[in-house]
Amino acid sequence: MQFGIFTIGDVTEDPTTGRTPTEHEGIRATVEIAKKAEEVGLDVFATGQHHNPPFVAPANPPILLASIAAQTERIQLSTATTLITTTDPVRIAEDYAYLQHLSGGRVDLTMGRGNTGPVYPWFGQDIRQGIPLAIEHYSLLHRLWREDVVNWQGRFRSALQGFTSTPRPLDDVAPFVWHGSIRSPEIPEQAAYYGDGFFHNNIFWPAEHTRRMVEFYRARYEHYGHGAADQAIVGLGGQVFMRRNSQDAVREFRPYFDNAPVYGHGPSLEDFTEQTPLTVGSPQQVIEKTLAFRDYAGDYQRQLFLMDHAGLPLKTVLEQLDLLGEEVVPVLRREFAALKPAHVPEAPTHASLVARRRAGQDPVPGGTEDSPAGRARAAQATTQTTQQTTQQTTQQTTQQTTERAHR
Amino acid sequence: MSDRHLTTTTDPAGVHPLTLVVVSAGMSDASSTSLLADRLAEAVRDGLDGAPVRIERVDLRPLAHAIADHLLTGFPGPPLRAALEAVTRADALIAATPTFKASYSGLFKSFFDLLDEAALEDLPVLVAATGGTARHSLMLDSAMRPLFAHLKALVLPLGVYAATEDWAGVSLESRIRRAGAQLARLLAAGAGQDARTAGALPAGAARQERGDEFAGVPDFADLLARAGR
Repeated sequence: MQFGIFTIGDVTEDPTTGRTPTEHEGIRATVEIAKKAEEVGLDVFATGQHHNPPFVAPANPPILLASIAAQTERIQLSTATTLITTTDPVRIAEDYAYLQHLSGGRVDLTMGRGNTGPVYPWFGQDIRQGIPLAIEHYSLLHRLWREDVVNWQGRFRSALQGFTSTPRPLDDVAPFVWHGSIRSPEIPEQAAYYGDGFFHNNIFWPAEHTRRMVEFYRARYEHYGHGAADQAIVGLGGQVFMRRNSQDAVREFRPYFDNAPVYGHGPSLEDFTEQTPLTVGSPQQVIEKTLAFRDYAGDYQRQLFLMDHAGLPLKTVLEQLDLLGEEVVPVLRREFAALKPAHVPEAPTHASLVARRRAGQDPVPGGTEDSPAGRARAAQATTQTTQQTTQQTTQQTTQQTTERAHR
Repeated sequence: MSDRHLTTTTDPAGVHPLTLVVVSAGMSDASSTSLLADRLAEAVRDGLDGAPVRIERVDLRPLAHAIADHLLTGFPGPPLRAALEAVTRADALIAATPTFKASYSGLFKSFFDLLDEAALEDLPVLVAATGGTARHSLMLDSAMRPLFAHLKALVLPLGVYAATEDWAGVSLESRIRRAGAQLARLLAAGAGQDARTAGALPAGAARQERGDEFAGVPDFADLLARAGR
């Protein structure tokens, strides 16, 4: 199981000092945080994509991730999320493949639609077309990484004639893709169709909702024949603030919570902690709450924590990462591993994807003929043929009757 | 949190009683809005001539913070979720609000803002309001009807507006009786439960699907074909 952090890059006033970091400080802090994540033994660093203040998450994540790749050795670089709706899929294909080469294959990405309405028209799009955009853009991206020469036409982007996306993916293996969605079931459906991963950013949501989204994805993954439901690739978010003494954690985090973007000025810290994955307390409390995610999401592959938002100063964030890396993740690794059955796969890595490709086991979008989906298609085709035959027979009979009547 | 906003009266004789949900946005504890809503519910029960009906009261006042929290966080806390589900599953609804600045109260509107777009489709709704003066009584038609029309509910032709002077008058009682009886007749004629589960679906399935975002997800091949159009 992979453990890591994700950042949305919000530039927020520190409510305890009234000071707002500059963009420059925010960007440099992000790099420090990523380096620290590797140093404390985490597996993944993921960045958001943003086009508007007050965020310093990059407009094109590979720019930040390439810099981090150059300053780290081991950590997997990812996104949370890459905006598949408003970013040209050709640029996603090119830039992330380039990043694969620079980072030695340490890259995967999470597709998201983006819920900031004004961003869409800046890129000539319309938020009401979010789902169709995500579907069409990704279907093109999927081909650009797998076919050397692509002829394509669609609704949202100019057609491509004899186009080759360069560079070709490292070892001819596309980066692994997760599809992120909080509410829209079309997205876990999409993830299942392709045999891709599904990431549920559950941090602002009650467990029951997450359970239903993940269950739906798992059932559809099995339907498309990519494996049993419990072998589907699931990632979850988490949000924690820790001090050794849980009362210290609550006291220190409360002003940040009360003024945070998204949920600030809303529910109490206590209500929100009870209703969502947020944990404010001791490392032991974080361990217990995170282990309980498995109760409703099953054995899953990736756990990302949000650690650096709401105006928390860099120094505090780095202390939090020390606690996460030293006291929380080693225990979680051990406990989750002990619980996970052998047939449940680990999160894909470049090496595992290369091996899968060499073994000829890449998932077939929509499932092979042998999958439940494939058999359903075959059965439907038979029914349609029968119906057509019946219709033809009826038409012939009617025609004969009519002809006879006219004689 | 206490659950006093949700009072359930079960008729032990009824196996599958109709469920009448009463939403009141009354602000004080002995509020005239809640009083009006309760009187209307009694009138409906009387009009049903002994047919079993379960009456669930949803008071919005104790849910006020939860409603604001939902607007900010995007999800309801447990007591608010129970209230939203009660309305979504109802066979009929009595919606009662005080008149604030020529319309329903902001709290009343905020609660209905949180319902799924299809949650009230085909639902018989009796609208009721209270106010300081009868000069605001057209708010039933100018404010409440458009709201429930937007939500595709079946708003009853009769609504009841109770001004301060009405509580000491003689006509309010008969207006309550007439409106309650009208809703009862509609329910007895098969509106509500039957109409809301009409179609090919087995009984109860339509109501179960209401609010189930996974029920109608098309197969991805269809989504893919549709995206290109």
